[in-house]
Amino acid sequence: MSATAASSGRIEIDGTVFNPYSKDFIRSPWATWEKLALEHPVAWHKDLNMWVVSSHEALNDMLKDNRFSTNYKHWEFAPPPKPYEQQNHFERAIDAGLFAVEPKEHLRLRKLTMPAFSKPVMGKIDAKIRDLITTCFDEIGSPEQFDAFTMIAEKLPVRSIARMVGVPTNMESFFHDFAVNVVKSTRINLPQKVRDQSIQETLPGFQYFLDLIKERRALPHPGEDFIGQLVAASDNGDSLNDYQIVSVIQAVIVAGSDTATDLHTYAIQGLLSNPDQYQLLAQKPELMENAIIELLRYGAFGKTPQFRFVTEDLEWRGQHFKKGQSVLLNLTAAWVDPQKWPNPRQLDIQRRLDGNLVFGAGAHFCIGTYLVRVQGGLMIQELMKRFPNAELVNGNGDVEYDYNHHNARRINRLLVKTNVEAARKAA
Amino acid sequence: MERWICVICGFIYDEAVGMPEHGIAAGTRFSELPEDWMCPECGSPKSAFEVYSD
Repeated sequence: MSATAASSGRIEIDGTVFNPYSKDFIRSPWATWEKLALEHPVAWHKDLNMWVVSSHEALNDMLKDNRFSTNYKHWEFAPPPKPYEQQNHFERAIDAGLFAVEPKEHLRLRKLTMPAFSKPVMGKIDAKIRDLITTCFDEIGSPEQFDAFTMIAEKLPVRSIARMVGVPTNMESFFHDFAVNVVKSTRINLPQKVRDQSIQETLPGFQYFLDLIKERRALPHPGEDFIGQLVAASDNGDSLNDYQIVSVIQAVIVAGSDTATDLHTYAIQGLLSNPDQYQLLAQKPELMENAIIELLRYGAFGKTPQFRFVTEDLEWRGQHFKKGQSVLLNLTAAWVDPQKWPNPRQLDIQRRLDGNLVFGAGAHFCIGTYLVRVQGGLMIQELMKRFPNAELVNGNGDVEYDYNHHNARRINRLLVKTNVEAARKAA
Repeated sequence: MERWICVICGFIYDEAVGMPEHGIAAGTRFSELPEDWMCPECGSPKSAFEVYSD
């Protein structure tokens, strides 16, 4: 049996209902997500050994409920705490970071860091990364077809984030590896051995940024860029310490590089699979911000989106949660929950997106939301300008997936037919 | 008239503009918004807002 009501009244499912690692699911998760959202919105997964929450309504509540913590130290299988002097840079940065601190301290950190992330500041990032996007498309040129993954998605995010943080753009692989290892270090669905190895591999990255912060602190003025703003951040005499700054930088690198990779491929896939929407956006560029959120919702590239940890024994939505248990926030299922979104499989860049959970909700709402919108918007603008008649090769871009990616339904091939030559001949 | 920023997501509530599409008229002070009003972007409570100046 795949879904049961246990004798305790606990709703239980297993891998036959939801297996986020199966190839079939990665290629086509829609029916699974719909079943979860409609029939098992809150259920204990016997194989994953964690709760899975999948409906929009339930997730909207859970994201705003502090009893479900982002701090993995509340997890029943968390490694025992170490004294500060025995901790490495990774452990100190994680402890100082936005996912580990208690709600009051979290609000304080967000308040101090917000000036560096606000919409007006991110608007200025536009000018800083525009040339990177132009260069990226110059490198593509005017071929008959190109791979959007290798030519755009793999390059653009990490270059943009390097520019934004204010470090050399030639350290692309260094940043990418750092980002991937930080994510893998905190993924509780990965084996402890993998997480430990990943932690070790993050250490050079943390050391690099700690040295950079030290240099900036020694200057008469720490600079106007992102790191400079974090070093200078103050509120009534309050300021950020080195590990708090480095934890914010690593959060931005993670969100802005590895995650943004999927933003680009899925945005291109979404638009070119829906030529009417591609044309509409070209005609109405003012729809761009809404279009990006809709493309993220529609693409729903997360595989095992986020986790929470239960801080006390509690009853929630008729289920008994025990202190220390983990919860998979199955946010991508909520993004296509038919109870919230009419025709959820349809891309509609004019859709009213009020109350969407694309960037989460509540205290841990995605800190890089405007950065993502700026980067995605610039890429799409350039794509429309260079290749207004683009299509996916063979209708689906001969799409391929990296089935072993740690948390995304990662597309690692998406072939785009430019139709540039055909348009030239027609002219 | 003041502008208020949500320190969680960066959404700015401008008292001069209000949010007519959400039934909040231009000129509505932040303090006049209902106590259970939430940030339209991220759902944070009013307590997550601070006065904002460029």
